[in-house]
Amino acid sequence: MRGVDAVSNIIRFMALLFLQVFIFRQVSLGWGGADYIFIFVAPLFVALLPMRTPRPLVVIIAFLFGISVDAFYGTLGVHAAAATFAGYARQFALLVLEPRERYKVKASPDGKDLSQGWWLRYVGIMVASYTVFYFSMEAFSPLFWREIALKSVLTIPVSWLLCGIIVSLLQPRI
Amino acid sequence: MEQILRIFYNNGSFITFVGLQLLCFYLIVNFNATQRAIAAETWTVRAGGVKDAVSTFQDYLDLREENEIQQRENAELRSKLQEYQSNRQGVTSDSIQDLIYGQRFTILAANVVNRSSYSPNNTAIIDRGNNFRIQAGQGVLGDEGLLGIVDVVSNYHTRIISILHRATRISAGLRNNAFGTLQWDGRDPRRMTLTDIAEFYPVSPGDTVFTTGYSSVFPTGQVIGTVESMVIQAGTGSQNLVVRLINDPLATRNAFVVQDLFKDDIAPLNTSNQ
Repeated sequence: MRGVDAVSNIIRFMALLFLQVFIFRQVSLGWGGADYIFIFVAPLFVALLPMRTPRPLVVIIAFLFGISVDAFYGTLGVHAAAATFAGYARQFALLVLEPRERYKVKASPDGKDLSQGWWLRYVGIMVASYTVFYFSMEAFSPLFWREIALKSVLTIPVSWLLCGIIVSLLQPRI
Repeated sequence: MEQILRIFYNNGSFITFVGLQLLCFYLIVNFNATQRAIAAETWTVRAGGVKDAVSTFQDYLDLREENEIQQRENAELRSKLQEYQSNRQGVTSDSIQDLIYGQRFTILAANVVNRSSYSPNNTAIIDRGNNFRIQAGQGVLGDEGLLGIVDVVSNYHTRIISILHRATRISAGLRNNAFGTLQWDGRDPRRMTLTDIAEFYPVSPGDTVFTTGYSSVFPTGQVIGTVESMVIQAGTGSQNLVVRLINDPLATRNAFVVQDLFKDDIAPLNTSNQ
């Protein structure tokens, strides 16, 4: 589950899908009859795709993962849209966070030279982009911007924390 | 082709992203009751605004046609004015064949489609020609004021000599029946000179200058401009008036060709004079 080869990615696909739809789907907190805190590990799958994956392929794979999540959530298209957006946003996250000595994708395919701090920031951006887009699609109108903002503000830290824990436990390579 | 492929290669992720987002929108709207209701509501609210914008745009596209209609109507209305009628009201004798309800001048709407670059001898082209029985010597009016006189007629277009042309001579006068010849010295396109007004006629700055209608070119009483100043011509007993034009003949787009139905009737009388 930690490598960059196809098998690892397929296992990751299965594992994160399982975590998302069977465990974290049950977790939602809120008050007054509405839930405001959710946990998303789906963006982690998009984030952990190998760095050398062609960008259009990243978008397509992200879409497939999102639509799989939707199949279990019964919200066809909503997670898919968020995952597709995260897949598209990934290249910009990588670009923004590029270390001064550039990614050593070819020299050292391990990718172990990336620090804990880098991982946290990277996962944070991915989670944030996924979450904001997800809630926007769920509300489906800018009129509900308050709700979108509130849910995003509450959900992002929790999801970020959880994704950060998974990353530091697995120490994945991309 | 190669460029198209290159664009796709460079923006592949963006195009994929947009395509998949559209697919997602389709799925969201079609398979989620809440979002479908919101989308329908949003559409209802926005559609009004969109329709308004579309109709504004379409109105704008129709402007040219509307303008043409208005222009034709103007031409028709102007030809019904008093000064375009032949002066035969009240003649009851049935021996006179009243041709078309006492109509003397008809008006034909046209557009200026080309004009010479500014010089002491300006000309312009309008988009009517032989097909509308335009003949050399007919007058051309603007929305207000005069434009010029027909010079050369081709099948579909006509060249007019602008009033701002040194060869132009127009019979013009004042309300007190003083009349003279209006001409241009080729200098200031805002002013023309009305010559040969007898010195004893009282003229004040601001007096209106009209066409006299003594030729068959323009109907009587068309406003040309106002008197700006008077210059007594010593020893000739006449004065020249500097006339400030009411219009800018070099910038006018709408033209109205004046056709005198009695021209052939009057012309032989003028020549046998000499």
